[in-house]
This record gives sequence, structure tokens and C-alpha cells, in this order.
Amino acid sequence: MAAETQAGTAAEGASGGLPQFDFHWWPGQIAWFLIIFFGVMAFMRFFAVPKVGGTIEAREGKIAGDIADARRMKDEADAQAQAAAVEAAKARAGAQKVAAEARAKAQAEIAARLAQEEAKLAATGAEAEARIAKAREAAMANVAGIAADTAQAIVTKLTGKTASAAELSAAAKG
Amino acid sequence: MAKAPPIEPMEQFLIHKWIPGPSFDLGGVHFDMSITNSVASMIAGAIILMAFFALTARGQIVPNRGQALAESLYNIVDRVLVTPIIGPHGRPYIPYLFTLFSVILVLNLMGVLLSFGHLFGQTWSFTVTSQLAITATLAVLTFFSIFFLGFIKHGPKFLGLFFPSGMGVIGATLMAPIEMISYFVRPITLAMRLFGNMLGGHVVMNLFGSFVVALGLMALTGGIASLAIVPSALSFGMIVALSGLELVVAVLQAFVFVALATVYLNEVVNFGHGH
Repeated sequence: MAAETQAGTAAEGASGGLPQFDFHWWPGQIAWFLIIFFGVMAFMRFFAVPKVGGTIEAREGKIAGDIADARRMKDEADAQAQAAAVEAAKARAGAQKVAAEARAKAQAEIAARLAQEEAKLAATGAEAEARIAKAREAAMANVAGIAADTAQAIVTKLTGKTASAAELSAAAKG
Repeated sequence: MAKAPPIEPMEQFLIHKWIPGPSFDLGGVHFDMSITNSVASMIAGAIILMAFFALTARGQIVPNRGQALAESLYNIVDRVLVTPIIGPHGRPYIPYLFTLFSVILVLNLMGVLLSFGHLFGQTWSFTVTSQLAITATLAVLTFFSIFFLGFIKHGPKFLGLFFPSGMGVIGATLMAPIEMISYFVRPITLAMRLFGNMLGGHVVMNLFGSFVVALGLMALTGGIASLAIVPSALSFGMIVALSGLELVVAVLQAFVFVALATVYLNEVVNFGHGH
């Protein structure tokens, strides 16, 4: 307390105005301030600035790296999508070709089978016609025989005589 | 009835010896290394500052509030001042400029925020940056460090700073003294700006504080004097408003000091590039 009062009076006596112009305290204050200032500066230089500044830089590096990664991945995905689209188009074209081939093959087969069946039908038809013609001829031949027999019987009945075969056939043809 | 204390707005700047320390003479100068209220405030400020950064510099990619605050303070020096003004060559000076900024800031803010006033027969709040000795030390240290750095980096060519180019020999020689004066007045303006800002605000706040007490006590005497409660309340309102203003000034003056130091440093680091 004594020192305090003494300092106070010293300050007032020194300039009569601002206590800041009491130069008695200047050297000690400046020396202490420099010690403390450089102490804080060492702390900042070796701890705070590298730590805080390093963290900010690390964060910016991380953000930039992440964005680059994301961009690279997006490019990759785009390339893959494009490749997939090309492949799909190729597959579709292939499928269409296969389908067209199958259709053509099926149609050819159908046509061949149709032709075969038609030929078979035609052959069967011709055979049947031939058979019918033969049967008719046979029938017609039998008709002459029947006529001659009938004429023989009639002649025999009427005249009591038998007509010769030549006469009969001429009459039947008659 | 209580008597109003005398109005002494300068009392807050008085230095009191708290713990006697060694004193010695060096080159005719008497150093009293006692722990005074000023020295104690400096030490408290340094402890607050170092504790703050020790606790908040966590190095997380996603920062919490404390770390975000520490990084914002750092970016004021790095991203707002050094990188735009000096560029990448300014990086080695960031520790000094950041120390300058944070020390001035914490000492300024302590003067506003830790205003406990007079308790137990002792004044507890003390604004270190309202001491001309301190602001002058900061200004001289900063200015002459930069000045000598110019000579270390550029040699005698650095004197070309005082001879404006494009004026011819005679013109430049005539301009040199003016340039020199305007250059060497810088530490004085640096010191006086910070000192004056801190001094003025605290004096005005102290005066209004005295008015609150003096007029309030007058109002308590009764009668027509009761009306004194109105200016007393107004003075209290002024203190509230001034506290806000002083907070802004405290931050702004720390910024201004470092901004000017950065501009001066830029002349040295980028000497011959931008002139």
C-alpha cells in the first residue's frame, strides 16, 4: 500500500497529467512486455500457427482431393454407362439379326414342306385319276361282254338258235 | 449520506506495484522489474491467449466452435491480410503478425471485458494497450524490424524507397526528405493511434460511470434533487452503448495495427515489384 501511494504521487508529480507519461515505469514495463511478447511469439511460432494453419491447409487439401476423387469417379461411371450403352446396342442388333435369320429359316422350311405336300397331293391325285380311268375302261369292256351275252340269250330265246361269237360282237358293237 | 467519490478518470491508468521485484540500472536507465498491475495484466493476457490456443487448436477436419474461432482469428491475419497484400512470400512473417494481432486483441478486450473496477481496495482492471510505453514498444519493434529487414534483403538499394521514380534526379532529391518524414512518422502514428483509441474510450466510460454515481447519490438527497436520477440513468445508458462501441474499437484497432504492419512489410518483401 505504501508503494502504491508512493507510485501514485510519483505519477502525479511527474507530469501532472497523464499517468502514461510517468517515465519511471517505462523501462520495467517495456522489458516485461518484450519478455512476454516474445514468449507468446515462440508459442505461436512453434505451436499455434503450424497447428491452426496446418489444419486449415489440410482441410482445404482434403476438400480439393475429395472433389477430385468425386469428379474422377463420375467420369469413370460416365464411361462405364457409355460402354454399357454401346454393348446394349450391339446386343440388340445381334438379337435382331438372329431373329431375322430364324424367321427366314422358318419361312424357307414352311415353303419347302408346303411344296412337298403339294407334290405328294398332286401325285396321289394323278394316281387316283389313273385308277379311275382304268376302272372305267374295265367297266366299259365288261359292258360289251354283257351285251353279247344278253344278245346271245335273247337270240337263243327268240330263234332257238345260237348266234356265232362274231355275229354277236358285231351286233353288240352295232 | 454517502459522499460521491472524486471524479478521477485518469486513475485507471496509474501503475501500482503489486509484488516488489529486482531493480537494476543498465546504460543509465533504471529498470524496476516489480510485478505491477500492468505486468500482471500482460501475464494474464499471455496466459489467456496461450490457454485459448492450446485448448482450441485440435487439428480436426470438422472443427468445433472453439477451433472455428481460433481458425477465424488466424484467417484474419492469413487470408484477409497477408495473402492478399503480400502474397505467398509473406508466409514466413505470419507468426510475428499473428502474435502482434492476438496480443493487441487480447489486451484490448481485457480492458473492456474484465472491467471489475475497484474491489478490496484494489483496481483490478487494467488496459495494457492504453499505456504509451507498450504501444510505442509495439510500434517501434514492428517498424524497425521491417525497416532493417529491408536492408537485410535489399542492401543499400532499399534507400530507393525514399526517391520516387519518374521524377528526375532533382525532383526525386527534393522529394526525398518529405518521403523520409512520412516514412519515419509511421511508428509514431502506429503508437499514438492505438494509445489514443484505448485511452479515449476508457476515459469517457469512466466519466460517465462517475456521473452515474455522483448524480444518483445527489438524487437520493430528495426534493428537487431527485430529478438527478434522469441524467444518472442516461449516463448508465451511455456506458452500455459505449461498452459496445469499445468492443468494436478493441477489435478494430488490433486489426488496423496489423493491417498497417502488413502494408509496411509488403513494401519490403515486394520491394521493386510494385513501385
